[in-house]
Amino acid sequence: MSILDYNGAAIMAMKGKDCVAIAADRRFGVQAQTVSMDFDKIFEMGPHLYIGLPGLATDVQTVSQRLNFRLKMYELRENRKIKPKTFMSMVSNLLYERRFGPYFVEPVIAGLDPKTFQPFIASMDLIGCPMITDDFVVSGTCSEQMYGMCESLWEPNLEPEDLFETISQALMNAFDRDAVSGWGAVVYIIEKDKVTKRLLKTRMD
Amino acid sequence: MTERYSFSLTTFSPSGKLVQIEYALAAVSAGAPSVGIKALNGVVLATEKKQKSILYDDQSIHKIDYITKNIGMVYSGMGPDYRVLLTRARKLAQTYYLTYQEQIPTAQLVQRVATVMQEFTQSGGVRPFGVSLLVAGWDEDEERPYLYQCDPSGAYFAWKATAMGKNHINGKTFLEKRYSEKLELEDAVHTSILTLKESFEGQMTEDNIEIGICNQDGFRRLAPSEIKDYLASVS
Amino acid sequence: MDSQMNELYGNNGPKQVHFSPYAFNGGTVLAVAGEDFAVVASDTRLSEGFSIHSRDTPKTYKLSDKTVLGSCGFHGDVLTLTKVIGARLKMFEHSHNKKMSTSSIAAMLSTMLYYKRFFPYYVYNIIGGIDDEGKGCVYSFDPVGSYEREAYRAGGSASSMLQPLLDNQIGFKNQEGATVVPLSKEKAVALVKDVFISAAERDIYTGDAIIVQVVTKDGVKTEQFPLRKD
Repeated sequence: MSILDYNGAAIMAMKGKDCVAIAADRRFGVQAQTVSMDFDKIFEMGPHLYIGLPGLATDVQTVSQRLNFRLKMYELRENRKIKPKTFMSMVSNLLYERRFGPYFVEPVIAGLDPKTFQPFIASMDLIGCPMITDDFVVSGTCSEQMYGMCESLWEPNLEPEDLFETISQALMNAFDRDAVSGWGAVVYIIEKDKVTKRLLKTRMD
Repeated sequence: MTERYSFSLTTFSPSGKLVQIEYALAAVSAGAPSVGIKALNGVVLATEKKQKSILYDDQSIHKIDYITKNIGMVYSGMGPDYRVLLTRARKLAQTYYLTYQEQIPTAQLVQRVATVMQEFTQSGGVRPFGVSLLVAGWDEDEERPYLYQCDPSGAYFAWKATAMGKNHINGKTFLEKRYSEKLELEDAVHTSILTLKESFEGQMTEDNIEIGICNQDGFRRLAPSEIKDYLASVS
Repeated sequence: MDSQMNELYGNNGPKQVHFSPYAFNGGTVLAVAGEDFAVVASDTRLSEGFSIHSRDTPKTYKLSDKTVLGSCGFHGDVLTLTKVIGARLKMFEHSHNKKMSTSSIAAMLSTMLYYKRFFPYYVYNIIGGIDDEGKGCVYSFDPVGSYEREAYRAGGSASSMLQPLLDNQIGFKNQEGATVVPLSKEKAVALVKDVFISAAERDIYTGDAIIVQVVTKDGVKTEQFPLRKD
C-alpha cells in the first residue's frame, strides 16, 4: 500500500459563480484503525486562500507549517497579499525541492484573487506538478469515487448555497465508499466578503 | 582558508565614515552623466556615451540594458562593475520567475540588487561597486511606472526624476524646474535630452547619447534613428 | 562474442519465461432493480492497456426472458463463463422441463465461480431480472462467488465512480429528510445513461456506447446510446 494512503483522506475543491469551495474529511487513522475524528487537513493561507493537504499526516502538518513560513516571508518581503496562482507556484517549488525524497502530500488549492476576486482552483501531485482547472479538483484515497460524484453533480456558475450543497454531497457520498476516509467533514465556501466554514455530520462507520 | 583570513577592505575611519564608499561615490560623480524621468505612462533613461577615440565602434557597446522585458537600467561610474551587476540582476530576476512563475516586481529587483551592493561593502576581499544605477520598470500588476536609484552603499531611493554622474547637481536643478506631474513619456524623452544637453560638451548626436524607454509594452533601447528624430525636434 | 560475454558475466544459468493467464479488458456493468422491473447496462468497449480492441462488444448477456447477466473483466473468461452458463441453463431446462428462475441462476453462478476458487474466472458479474414474485432484483458477485441481492450495483472498471452516485441518487444516502419515492423505469434508464456519460469522461476503459436492457414481465427490451469514443 502506498504511503499516501497510510492515514486516509478525501479533499476536493470546486469553482462556482464568484466563489470557490474546498472540502475535506476529518479522519486521522493509521491504516484501518481510526485514531481521531477532528483532524485538520485544510489550512487558511490568507483571507481568501486555502490549501487542502491529503496524504501522510506528518507531512501534511510539516508542509502546512513550511508553507506558512514561506508565505509570511513572501508577504513581508513584498508587502502585499499573494495571488492564488503565485501561491501555487510557491507550493510547487517547495515540493519539487524534495524531488527525490518527496513529501507524501498531493495538495488542493482554492482561493480568490486578492484584487480581482477571480475564483481559482488547482491541484498538484506529490512532487509539485500543478494542474489548474475550471470545474473541480479532487485528491485523496477515494479520488475515483470523488471524480464520479463531481463529474455528475457539478455544473457551471453555481451560487454559493448551491455550491455548498453540491460539494457536500459529492464529498460525503464519495468517502462513504472508502474505508479510510470520512468520519465527519468540513466545508469552506469562499466568497468576496465572506468565508463560511461548516462542519458536516456524516455516518461514522 | 580564504574565508578564515579575509577581512573587509571597507572599514570604519575613526570619524565613523566608510571612506571606501565615499571613494566609490566619487567614482560615480566623475562618471558620465545619466538621467531618469518618470512620466505618467512610462519612464525614460538617458545617458551620455562619449567615446575616447573616434576609432571606437560606438554601436558595439551599450550603457542601457534590459533586465526583464519590463525592467531596464543605466549607470554612472565604472563600466565593468556595471556589467557584473547587470548579470546579477538578470539572474535574480530569473530566479524569481522560476519560483513564482511571475515577473519580478521592480521594487523587488531593486531591493535584491541593493542587497548585493551592500554585501560588497561588508564582505572580505571585495570592494564596493564604483557605480550608481538607475532602474526603470513597468509594474504589470499595478499598471504604473517606477524609477529607482541604487548607490554603492546599497542605499536605494524612488525618484520622480533624477540625474547622476558628472554635473548631476546642475542636472537635478534643471529637472526641478522642468518636471511636471502630468508629464507624458514623449515629453519626458525631450526633457531627458535637454537635461543631458545642460552639461554636454560638443555636438550631441544619435551616436554619443543613449536612451531607453519603459512603458506598458516593456523596456527597450531607442534605435539611433529614433534618437536622431528626437534630437531634431529638440534643437 | 555473445558466448564470450556470457562466460565473462556468468549469464549461463536457466532462463525463465513468464506466462500470465489473465488480462484485463475493461468494461463497466451496472444493474438497478425497480418494483417490477430491472435495468442491466454495460458499455461496449473492449480494451487492453492503451489500445481498444473493439468499440462494439456489449457485456450484457440475456440468459432468459426474465434474467440478464452483466459480465466484465478478462474477456476470455467472460466468454467461457457465459458459454458454460448457457449450457447449464439448457441442461436444467431439459431435465426439469422449465426455465431456471433468476434466484436459481444467481445461486448456480455462485457455485460455478467458487468451483474455480483457486484458478478463478477473472470476471465481475451482476445479474438483473425478475424474481419468482414478479419483483425486480439484482444480484452482485465477486470473482470467486460471494454474492448478495441488492437494489443496485455497479461493477467493473468504473464501478468506484458509479457506485457512490447510485448510493446518492437511488439509495438517497446522505439526504436528510428526503422522501424516498419508488424508482420509475424512465428515471432508472435516464440515471443509468447519466452515470455512464460521467464514467466515460474519466475512465479510459469505459466508452463508445452503452447497452441498456430493461427486464419486465413482458420480456427484455434493449436500447443503445452513444458515449464518447476517445
